[in-house]
Amino acid sequence: MKIIRHSLAALMLLLLIPVAQAAGSSYALQVDGLACPFCAYGIEKKLSSIDGVVDTQVNIKTGEVIVTMGEGIPLTEDLARKKVKEAGFTLRGFSQRSGGDAHVPE
Amino acid sequence: MSPNSHRHCHNREILCLVGSMVLGTGNTWSAPITFNTALPVAQNEFLAREQFIVNRASDDPSPLNRDRTAKAAVSVLGYGVNSKLALFGVLPYRDNELKVKIAGRHISRSASGFGDLTVFGRYTLVQQDRPGRNFRIAPFAGIKAPTGDDNKRDAMGKLPPAAQVGSGSWDPLFGVVGTYQTLDYQIDSQISYQVNTEANNFEAGDVVRLDGSLQYRSWPKTLGGGVPAFVYGVMEASLVYQQKNRISGRSDDDSGGTRLFVTPGIQYVTRRWISEAAVQVPVVQNLNGDALENDYIARVSVRFNF
Repeated sequence: MKIIRHSLAALMLLLLIPVAQAAGSSYALQVDGLACPFCAYGIEKKLSSIDGVVDTQVNIKTGEVIVTMGEGIPLTEDLARKKVKEAGFTLRGFSQRSGGDAHVPE
Repeated sequence: MSPNSHRHCHNREILCLVGSMVLGTGNTWSAPITFNTALPVAQNEFLAREQFIVNRASDDPSPLNRDRTAKAAVSVLGYGVNSKLALFGVLPYRDNELKVKIAGRHISRSASGFGDLTVFGRYTLVQQDRPGRNFRIAPFAGIKAPTGDDNKRDAMGKLPPAAQVGSGSWDPLFGVVGTYQTLDYQIDSQISYQVNTEANNFEAGDVVRLDGSLQYRSWPKTLGGGVPAFVYGVMEASLVYQQKNRISGRSDDDSGGTRLFVTPGIQYVTRRWISEAAVQVPVVQNLNGDALENDYIARVSVRFNF
């Protein structure tokens, strides 16, 4: 029984990790060229491959992609631009939405 | 007429059909519904498409009453080398059946198996992205390799080229594709040229084609947030011209010509996959001699992002 209880506790801790990471900074990326759902998947996948990203949300109507990072992990504009380009699109705007250091435009 | 001369006549007439095979299903790399050449692929990502095609042709002006049904399951795999260059492979599995009537007898000849592999590369030369829209122009070039069996036989001997699953020839192709896409609609167009070379004393005529596609978002009528699935109504047109075939170095007057297809269709588009269906209806068939006319070409396909 003890082993089961410890295993369950470890599992609960593992499940809590993403919640803790979700408390990090969010970035708003304005992406030009996004025009269909099939294209949106490519950009989600590219941005999600960045270390520390815990969530990406695409709004196809506005062309905005919200990238949420793990706590204390920043997202640089250069890296975001590179990933958006790899997905086949163009980054037009980049801004930090909450928490972390203030964004300095390049 | 002896049985042998019947067979000779039969085989020769059937050779004439190869042109329509090329027009109908051989050019599978440029599928009329959302052309393969316009498929979007991100860098270091894969895309797969599976098409199921039925090509019927039974409007025969000759006394042979030819009736051809060509079915194909066409697998397309795309890979993004970088944000500009994408590579594609197109491999069909074919099931061909050709029926003719000779001296009151119905004869059916058929073959199935993997057909010729087409590989091509596409380079995005012009890319303009704006909020909610994009524009691309990309030349492409490739080659159809003779990977399919071009020596299928039945009880009557070697099958004619029209019933073979492979051509036996190396056929280069090239062209340019353009795409203009907005949140409401998308327009694709391409012009392409395929050089058909000789194999087994037969050379299909070169093919030049102009394709256009309009995909209009029918649902949802108004966009909300997030990434909703789209339903597109599709209308496409394909103008296809083929030169006459050559048999043993001589021009075949019952082959080649011009076809114009109009293709209504529908697409259901999600983030990970697309399903689509369309029927190509021939509205103009200005063909040479007794070349066999198309009835329709039906296509159903699915596409996946990995």
